[in-house]
Amino acid sequence: MEIIRVNKLNKSFGDHHVLNDISFTVNKGDVVAIIGSSGSGKSTLLRCLIDLEKADSGDVFMEGKPLIKSGVYPSVQEIREIIIRMGMVFQHFNLFPHLTVRQNLELAPKVVKKEEPLQMNKRCETYLEKVGLLERIDAMPSTLSGGEKQRVAIARALMMNPDILLFDEPTSALDPELTGEVLNVMQSLANEHMTMVVVTHEMDFARKVANKILFMDAGKILEEGTPEDIFNNPREQRTQEFLSTILREQSKKAKKKYRLKKYL
Amino acid sequence: MSDFLTYLSNITLPMLQGMVITLSIFAVTFVCSIPLGFLFTLMVRSKIKPVKAFADAYIYVMRGTPLLLQLMFVYFGLPLLPFFGQFFIFGRFTAACIAFGMNYAAYFAEIFRGGLLAIDKGQYEAAKVLGLTKFETMTRVVVPQMIRVCLPSITNETITLVKDTSLVTVIGVAEILHYAKTAVNRDGNTFAFIVAAILYLLINFVITMVFKKLEKKYEF
Repeated sequence: MEIIRVNKLNKSFGDHHVLNDISFTVNKGDVVAIIGSSGSGKSTLLRCLIDLEKADSGDVFMEGKPLIKSGVYPSVQEIREIIIRMGMVFQHFNLFPHLTVRQNLELAPKVVKKEEPLQMNKRCETYLEKVGLLERIDAMPSTLSGGEKQRVAIARALMMNPDILLFDEPTSALDPELTGEVLNVMQSLANEHMTMVVVTHEMDFARKVANKILFMDAGKILEEGTPEDIFNNPREQRTQEFLSTILREQSKKAKKKYRLKKYL
Repeated sequence: MSDFLTYLSNITLPMLQGMVITLSIFAVTFVCSIPLGFLFTLMVRSKIKPVKAFADAYIYVMRGTPLLLQLMFVYFGLPLLPFFGQFFIFGRFTAACIAFGMNYAAYFAEIFRGGLLAIDKGQYEAAKVLGLTKFETMTRVVVPQMIRVCLPSITNETITLVKDTSLVTVIGVAEILHYAKTAVNRDGNTFAFIVAAILYLLINFVITMVFKKLEKKYEF
């Protein structure tokens, strides 16, 4: 079943053509990883899917309903009903700092869905347990580590029962030793067949968890395929270059960490 | 000694009456100018050009001219306007509240604007993807955070407001300073001014305490 269909999507910031005729589909249960160097348009693409950026032309269909059709957007109310079916996890978490963890999770169900409190409390606890943070339910976000904040943000997105979760570089703002706990949560969501689109620099995660990789370069999807296709037999030269650069950097980082550990 | 106490109570009792007026002007101004100020903040951020232009001009004029002048303008000036003057004849107290409310709204508008600038755009985005409407985002996410950012400045402005109420003596409102001045002129000593100072300090002491409590409450 098709969740998202993107067709010839275009967007420019002034003269800069950030998205150039982007087309792809996301099916139910897919884990799509969007990779590519910085400035290639990955985040902008993701943000266009949930109306945080407006595209200039093309179509985005979410479960058959148009979020944008031939460059035209429906009414604010219709857009809201569409994006309510989607969840988003941000690079910088964007938890509400004035609310406790529980209130962060319950705000949208309470305000938007008028959910009954008892059921909502229970779901809140279930999701926090799932991300391993039930004991922090009454904590304020400022007292959490980066990894904990991101796990709370994931639980908050899950509270709206989304049909698809979008992740915008969910581990890029984290210390290297904290990325694991967030990736583990995402891995377990994938195991439960949650549909996800993940913009990421974590090649290991893309290779192991995703079933579809989009490689973006200069606003275009240059190559699309399974992890085996992309990582083992990249067709395009740009893909090969990107992968060898990023894999080299990551192994350098890993070595550095190893060396540090030896000294400690 | 008992002479002194009698004198003290003789000058203080009317000043306490004046204090009621001071506090009333303060309370009315505070209660009116905060929502009015926030309205101007929203107008300044409006995408509708004339609305923004009006609010910008309002704030410019209110902040750019002396409060004393505005006070005199409302009380003495407005009734002299051709044709419309007859609709703008206010009592002293009402005129004072109008002038103060309008003036302080402009300052609060700027304080709130600063508070809104401090809120990360990620907060609006998070609220949007969770399905909150613009209004819900404002009331549930933005304003509570804005209040925390603004509280120290609001405290400051509120204390200034208490002291500024003394300006209304010029249009003959009988508040603390009015009675103090009368006593000083009549008795030829400065004692009443000291009592007045103590009364202002008392009010501001309470206000400082209340805002400290509020800041604690909004801490996160």
